[in-house]
Amino acid sequence: MRPNTVGWLMLAPTIAILGIFGIIPFIYVLYVSFHQWNPFGASPDMIYNGANNFRRLVFDTEFLTSIAFTMKFAFFAVLSEIALGYLLAQLFMKEFPGRGFFRTIHTLPLIVAPIVVGSVWRLMTTPSIGIIPYLLKSWFGYDLNIGRDATAAFALTVIMDIWHWTPLVTLTLLAALLALPKEPFEQAQIDGANRRQIFWHVTLPMIRPAILATVFIRLMDALRTVDEVWMLTSGGPGAATRFVGLHIWKIVFPKTDYGYGAAISVIVLYLTLVMCWLLYVALVARRERKRTF
Amino acid sequence: MQEPFDPAKVDADLEVARPVRTGFLPITTNWFDRVFVGIYLFVALELFWMRFLEQSIPLMVCHVLAIALGVLIVWRG
Repeated sequence: MRPNTVGWLMLAPTIAILGIFGIIPFIYVLYVSFHQWNPFGASPDMIYNGANNFRRLVFDTEFLTSIAFTMKFAFFAVLSEIALGYLLAQLFMKEFPGRGFFRTIHTLPLIVAPIVVGSVWRLMTTPSIGIIPYLLKSWFGYDLNIGRDATAAFALTVIMDIWHWTPLVTLTLLAALLALPKEPFEQAQIDGANRRQIFWHVTLPMIRPAILATVFIRLMDALRTVDEVWMLTSGGPGAATRFVGLHIWKIVFPKTDYGYGAAISVIVLYLTLVMCWLLYVALVARRERKRTF
Repeated sequence: MQEPFDPAKVDADLEVARPVRTGFLPITTNWFDRVFVGIYLFVALELFWMRFLEQSIPLMVCHVLAIALGVLIVWRG
């Protein structure tokens, strides 16, 4: 085997940053998750309690409900963002007046901080002053009140996420579409393929890696959404939009139960990894019965 | 005319000729993938046990089963 000292030296800063900001904190959270720790309580010491935090979370109906809501949120948001992002990317591939202007302006939501997005959407959806309830009432006679209607509140969190993050998907897929060679499309047209066949058998397989990378990024983000939803609904009405990130926040900050919060964080990381791995296996890994070493 | 000697090509040929063994997992894996799958299943089994079986069967049984499953996956998966 050839020594690759230069390669390792070039990787060293990345590995160091990953270690300091990723691996060491993860190991610490894992350590905390096996302890009972309330640093602001009567006994601020860390007390080892084995797997009790994990035993507690499998019976915690609030946590299990928040996981279910988060999965539902991630499913609808990511699916819609990919579909809409692809359509917008295809639109921006075509020549039309003002294409450059629209390409630029459609990325504006990306530069807005999530907490600001939540605030703006809260203002827009507040029944007495918001423009959305006003327009819905005057056009369709629909009375939007996300403080009362759980379904509307959930739908609005999804719509807000779509508004915020679809431009990212569009940019990624646009880059992938622009990088595609023309020859396969020309050959498909010569062979008489229609637009649907070209999409399913040429475009989609060729941009699959880009779609997969985007789905991974968006899925991981959607599973840890906190600030936008916190600003828009604060997890309500009831627990209708209390996603798992909010649940962790409420356990760690108002209740200062760091051990249990760490245990939930570890399980959320575990679920995220499992979902991404399953997606990877389903979409990328070939179902060949062989192994490599 | 004979092609010039290219060591990279020889390496690529050796790569193709590397022996492939069959495991019971339905995907191509390396040892790290199998350790990863083993840990996934270990955690899933432990949580499932704590939720549904711990009242009647001690968690130690689950530890033994989960470790055995992990070893089996790394060894034969």
